[in-house]
Amino acid sequence: MSKKNRTKFSIIRAAAAMGIALLVAFLLILLSADGANFSEKIAASGKALREMLVSPLFKKNGNFSMKNFSDVLAGMIPIMFTGLATCIMFSANQFNLGAEGGIMLGAFVTALVAIYAPIPGPLLMVVAVLAGGVAVGIVMLIPAVLKAKLGVSEMVNSLMLNYVIMYFLNYLMNSFLADTSKGITQTYAFQDNALIPQMIDNGSRLSWGFVIGIIMVILCWFFMYRTRWGYGIRMTGINQPFVMYSGMNVPLIIIISQVIGGVLAGMGGGIEMLGRYNVYNWSALPGYGWTGITVAILAGNNPAYVPLAAFFMSYLTKGCTLMSTNANVPSQLIDIIQAVIFIFFAAQQFLAGYRQKLVVKSAQEELAAKAAAMKAERSEQ
Amino acid sequence: MSEELVIQMKGITKVYPNGTVANQDVNFDVRKGEIHALMGENGAGKSTLMKMLFGLEQPTSGEILVNGEVVNLSSPTVAISKGIGMVHQHFMLVPSLTVAENMALGMVPKKSGVLIDYKKAVEITEEYSKKFNLRVDANAKVMDIPVGMKQKVEILKALVRGAKILILDEPTAVLTTQETVELFTELKNLKKQGYTLIFISHKLNEIMEITDRMTILRGGRSMGIHETKDVTPEEISRLMVGRDVILKVDKDQAKPTDEVLKVRDLEYVNEWGKKMLDKVSLSVRKGEILGIAGVEGNGQKELVDMLFGFNTPNAGTIEVNGANIIGLGQRELRERHIALVPEDRMLYGIAGTASIEENVISDRCGEKRLNKGILFNMKAIHEESAKLVKDYTVLCKSAQQQVGSLSGGNIQKVVVAREFSNGPELIIADQPTRGIDVGATEFIRKKLVELSRSGIAVLLVSADLNEVMELSDSLIIMCGGKIAAYFEDTKELSDELMGKYMLGIEKQTPEEIRRVCHE
Repeated sequence: MSKKNRTKFSIIRAAAAMGIALLVAFLLILLSADGANFSEKIAASGKALREMLVSPLFKKNGNFSMKNFSDVLAGMIPIMFTGLATCIMFSANQFNLGAEGGIMLGAFVTALVAIYAPIPGPLLMVVAVLAGGVAVGIVMLIPAVLKAKLGVSEMVNSLMLNYVIMYFLNYLMNSFLADTSKGITQTYAFQDNALIPQMIDNGSRLSWGFVIGIIMVILCWFFMYRTRWGYGIRMTGINQPFVMYSGMNVPLIIIISQVIGGVLAGMGGGIEMLGRYNVYNWSALPGYGWTGITVAILAGNNPAYVPLAAFFMSYLTKGCTLMSTNANVPSQLIDIIQAVIFIFFAAQQFLAGYRQKLVVKSAQEELAAKAAAMKAERSEQ
Repeated sequence: MSEELVIQMKGITKVYPNGTVANQDVNFDVRKGEIHALMGENGAGKSTLMKMLFGLEQPTSGEILVNGEVVNLSSPTVAISKGIGMVHQHFMLVPSLTVAENMALGMVPKKSGVLIDYKKAVEITEEYSKKFNLRVDANAKVMDIPVGMKQKVEILKALVRGAKILILDEPTAVLTTQETVELFTELKNLKKQGYTLIFISHKLNEIMEITDRMTILRGGRSMGIHETKDVTPEEISRLMVGRDVILKVDKDQAKPTDEVLKVRDLEYVNEWGKKMLDKVSLSVRKGEILGIAGVEGNGQKELVDMLFGFNTPNAGTIEVNGANIIGLGQRELRERHIALVPEDRMLYGIAGTASIEENVISDRCGEKRLNKGILFNMKAIHEESAKLVKDYTVLCKSAQQQVGSLSGGNIQKVVVAREFSNGPELIIADQPTRGIDVGATEFIRKKLVELSRSGIAVLLVSADLNEVMELSDSLIIMCGGKIAAYFEDTKELSDELMGKYMLGIEKQTPEEIRRVCHE
């Protein structure tokens, strides 16, 4: 199949999956909608759906809502990082699901540095975020090395690791680190010079971390498509025996891909922490890692599409929140939408018939072109 | 013996969707109660013919009669209902279940209609085991039992399902000598009880020992049905091994110089305890092509695995340019300028969904000339891939095209473009032209000759007789994990002579074979 047709198919497939997800969402809203009769229910569902799809951008009066829009952008920050992390790990065919625990650990380590490290000026910010990234990179060595050396499933290990991280951090918080003068479990406040400045001062917490995220997207793309290591990662994802036979170090690639994924997730946690909060108070997994998996799948593991996918997911999340506030529909609906998108993307055979048609069409075009070329050649002679 | 024909296949032709003609106008029949051998080289069409008899494939034309009645074998279920059973070469068993559970799969005895009656399954297994004198341990898990017993389970499975006619697909390929002897006793016993057996093999001594009649296939056509007692091994080998089309390759006399590859007394016993390589010694020198001929499964694959670091031998030495290479990884081997055209090109040769460009740089992506600091030098990479596509006449729109969308011949050209172009000193070409079109075949063969004449050592492993005889300067034949013969000059060779060595009818003396070491 030609590259053009492949891209066309990917886009149509993505649109179809999202469309079906929204349709399912609509049906669920309809089921739970208020109203005495069917037409009232339809009206209520329509209103709810409008809240979900339109209000992240527009106010009730139809004017553009800068506040809501910057909320959406701010919501992209952590899931761009987890999305990138997952892209790189999945590209090597490593189904590491540790971005979830990774972002929590990264946030925690960054918070500790931001509270306690005696570093002057904005340097503290940089060191804190990098410390978060490095810490998670090191922790990701556990599933990575176990996979590379012993063949243990990285999926199971990283999944369990998420909970190990969560409970371990909660233990540290409750036993040693909590500010006991406060009514809830939280750390002491970060030093002021650790906080990442806001881009817009409208309370939406859209920090300059967003720009760092975009920069990381570009760096990751270059890493994946313009360096030998990214090349090795992608080839390993396509055909591991081929990479071994070609003389590349497969175990090292397996480890590197997961460590880089860990670093990205950890940095994402740090940036989220310093851009949005001034104390660390997470006591449960934040969910950004799971959304990051959806982002990576939507982006087809290509870093270049991560911002788009992250925007879509952040937009829907914001929409669902607004819908629950204004239209009395539970915001957990976002999880169902995610799940449906997930299923259709993971389903190899989804739209396979359509793909087959494209392949056949492509092949026929090629044959026709070849025949024409031969004809031209003959007439020349 | 009765003359009643239980199976008749008349005028069978099979064309696969991709255009391969696997069988052409084949007539085949089997008498009740006989052991009938189906012989032929790899790719001769044995498996296809038997797949049609077992309902796995449908003939393009021709008819099949079972017990004199025309049948439409649309699936294995239909074949089984007609009393036909098949024992596959690769066992179709569930390793984590016990023998009895495997026996019961698909026909599970039930207690009061719901619960699985495991005891009954064991009883049935033991009853059949006793009846046919095929001893198996009903309660053992399949993964814990030896290969020979797994095969017995397969045979019993077919018998329990009511098979009167058993197709055995190369049953001895995986067995040790002892297990083979045992199997033959059991097969003779089955024959005595009135069962009909079709025995696929290319091992002559086995055929001579246990079969009554044989059908020989060559290039998809039948070379006739023969009574085993009326034919000599020589005749069989002449019928089986023969050349059809000959692609001539012009080449000058080789002028070999220094020894590049030196293999001495290589031994390897596989995980089932079967000796796959037995004291194999050979040398390949600069500027020559050494061919390895032989029926597949006689140690060639194991030898190549040893040479390219996929496996390690139990004993012996392998040296390239005087230095040991056993235990080295593929990167180190490539750094020593060893290149491999792998037998399985889809598994090792390419990354299917990546582009041609990404496929031709896989062995050199770390080299300085293709990198600028930490980034790839995309210009150099584009130039390199465009040059290779042009030099190796890969038919494609551009080097950015997905490699998996190319034809088999062009995929193989991509593989050889990479393997031949990075300054190799030793090229191991394992079945380099298998299953590809004539144009690509000719191109690759010419390229191999050209490279050898430029001073590269080439080791050519091929089951294609034309290929080894046309390309090789000198030739060895492998049989049963040993080198059966060495020919210094391939010109003096005839197909018949090669056939005899390939099938183990004749064997050279150790002194004659030792000449391949050039000591």
